[in-house]
Amino acid sequence: MTTSRIKLALGAGLAAICLAGASAPKLALAQVEDVTPPKGPPPAAAPAPASTKAAKPAEPNTLDPRGPQAAEVQLSALAPANLHKPRPRAPFDLTGTWFVDLSHGFSSWMFGPPYPKFLPAAQHEVDAAAAASKQGRAYKDDIGQCYPAGMPVIMTRVWPIAMIQLPTAVYMIPGFENELRIIYTDGRPHTPADVVVPSYNGESIGHWEGKELVVDTRYFETSHHTIDAGIPISKDFRMVERISLAPDGKKLHIHYAMWDPQNWEGEWDSDKAWNRVDDQDITEVECTPDLDKRLPSTQSTLNIR
Amino acid sequence: MALAAMALLSVAGPALAHHSYAMFDRDKELKLTGTIKEFAWTNPHSSIAIDVPNGQGGNDTWGVECNSPNNLARMGWKSDSLKPGDKVSITIHPLRSGEHGGSFMFVTFPDGHTLGEVPGGQKKS
Repeated sequence: MTTSRIKLALGAGLAAICLAGASAPKLALAQVEDVTPPKGPPPAAAPAPASTKAAKPAEPNTLDPRGPQAAEVQLSALAPANLHKPRPRAPFDLTGTWFVDLSHGFSSWMFGPPYPKFLPAAQHEVDAAAAASKQGRAYKDDIGQCYPAGMPVIMTRVWPIAMIQLPTAVYMIPGFENELRIIYTDGRPHTPADVVVPSYNGESIGHWEGKELVVDTRYFETSHHTIDAGIPISKDFRMVERISLAPDGKKLHIHYAMWDPQNWEGEWDSDKAWNRVDDQDITEVECTPDLDKRLPSTQSTLNIR
Repeated sequence: MALAAMALLSVAGPALAHHSYAMFDRDKELKLTGTIKEFAWTNPHSSIAIDVPNGQGGNDTWGVECNSPNNLARMGWKSDSLKPGDKVSITIHPLRSGEHGGSFMFVTFPDGHTLGEVPGGQKKS
């Protein structure tokens, strides 16, 4: 190529670049700014503005080490002041190790039948699970993939459950994956919906009605959380349990009433029982990815995820 | 209560799984004869990996799913009941897909004694 042609080509290229720059959108300026504060003592705090209202002195809170400013804080269920607060004696004490009663057959771990009338999306899941089962396949067996079982099915896993009853709460620790569940009975309300963190076992608040412990549970984590075979739950899922203890203290009964307006119509009821097992303790049980890799059932192509 | 628990354990397999056992063919039994590769004494499931000659000059590794150690111990199992290198036969309900895996039924040792998942193990004539 001659020198003149090279110059012509370069000029054409530069012109093309300029034209492209004139019509291309401007790139946004970088928005990363170093705001590291300078080292040294912090500046003195500005004095508070004078109030025209007489300030009400904070009541001294001798119960909380954080002092008067913690007057409104909910005491822990294990705080001595909360535990020793005068309360009516509980009708029963379910402290012990319990094992779900499957004397009516293994499938009685499930919460149906009967089932409520499912809405279309939920019915689709139920039908898919049933079809998979007929083919000898597992449909969305998330527990097998190490997701927590969550309420309510954590209660009917075929593992012992340790229950510890205090005046302020009932702690349930299932042997299966140690999915802690706490039922608060110290009179606290549910956490406001805009700050609560959803969980697989939900938030349980209980109160005594006659000889029953009535437990209202809400705020469930919905990701990979189903009931029985593939029945989904939504953030609107809510359950009320009525827990009672047999007179001889050896059998626990729970009546479940469950609602989920996004997945089924009306109330879904189920009754379950547990037997006291004084010769068993729970152990640590963890579901880990490397454990799962050893199990042919969880790794099989027969899983529909 | 211990007797009730043992009666429950005799249902075996799916009665004590923490997840679906639908993929195991409970109408079929396979006997695997080979060499133990690994025995994991872990919750919620113990498991066995066994190398089984495939008749083509090599071995296939089969995965076998067992009960929890707590329940196995009630049947006489210990954490060293199986060790890498042991020559045994394991009877399983196989995966329906034909993949190399199954749910454990019982193991037969070279001297003929067995360890299973039912109370007292199983005696085969």
